[in-house]
Amino acid sequence: MTTGTYLYALCRPDAPQPAVRGVSGAPVRVVREGDVGALVSTVDLAEFGEQALMANLDDLSWLARVAQEHDAVVQACARVTTTAPLRLATICSDDESVRERLRQLSPAAVQLLAQLGDRQEWGVKLYAAVTVPKSGSTREASSGVAYLRERRDEIDRRAAAADAARRQADDIFTCLAGVAIDARRHRPQDPQLSGADAPMLLNASFLVEPSGLDRFRAAVDEMAAALPPDSLILTGPWPAYSFVSMEQL
Amino acid sequence: MTATLDARVDTAPPSLVDLLDRLLGAGVVVSGDVILSLAGIDLVVVRLRALIMTVRDDG
Repeated sequence: MTTGTYLYALCRPDAPQPAVRGVSGAPVRVVREGDVGALVSTVDLAEFGEQALMANLDDLSWLARVAQEHDAVVQACARVTTTAPLRLATICSDDESVRERLRQLSPAAVQLLAQLGDRQEWGVKLYAAVTVPKSGSTREASSGVAYLRERRDEIDRRAAAADAARRQADDIFTCLAGVAIDARRHRPQDPQLSGADAPMLLNASFLVEPSGLDRFRAAVDEMAAALPPDSLILTGPWPAYSFVSMEQL
Repeated sequence: MTATLDARVDTAPPSLVDLLDRLLGAGVVVSGDVILSLAGIDLVVVRLRALIMTVRDDG
């Protein structure tokens, strides 16, 4: 079979071999080059080659499995050492190609790992408390003028509600960013994806230092106390997925 | 006064959508020998959204 080397994360070269299986159950190893290491495993290009991958990424059950296997490796590594996660499905032709890439990435990668240290990512999602009524009135409009007025009022109400929601999301994001090392906003999840009834107003990640975690959690709790139950959801800790951007490398 | 004052902490395994926000939308982008284009990844996200909607509609 033709194989490739699948990369999970960048790490320090002295990172221990993680006791976890990678995608499709393959053993995970550390490829080292100078001051940087990469967590990798071998994959079959019949499954992970460019053509196969484009087809497989359209298959939700395949994607879910690989995402979870990828995450398991990154999580296991992040528990024991500084870990800079890579995007899903980063594949090189072989280990020598990985080393070549590590040579290119260093020293930016070294600097990134030093900055990350033992900081962790926390996710905060804010859901709208109430949905805007579909229509301002259920009665039949008595005239064309009345109909137009109702339409205009409804548009105004929706705009005002959207403005208020945006401000609320911005305020929460700004406030939490103030007690975090770094902050990022993701696109709010579509209700059909999140599975929640209420629209999502904020989908954000915050990078938090262990010594600042109590303060961050307290700030989240304080905000949640002023909101309806379950409208502010905290997830984590995550490996620093959202704080390893390509501008840094 | 409601019983829940604290933010709800999701301690369950991460949801697939939360995970994909991070695995497809973030992380170091290293062009491997096989995966070449960022545009391709964006396309994947769009197609994925369409796919999940289909799944939910069926369910």
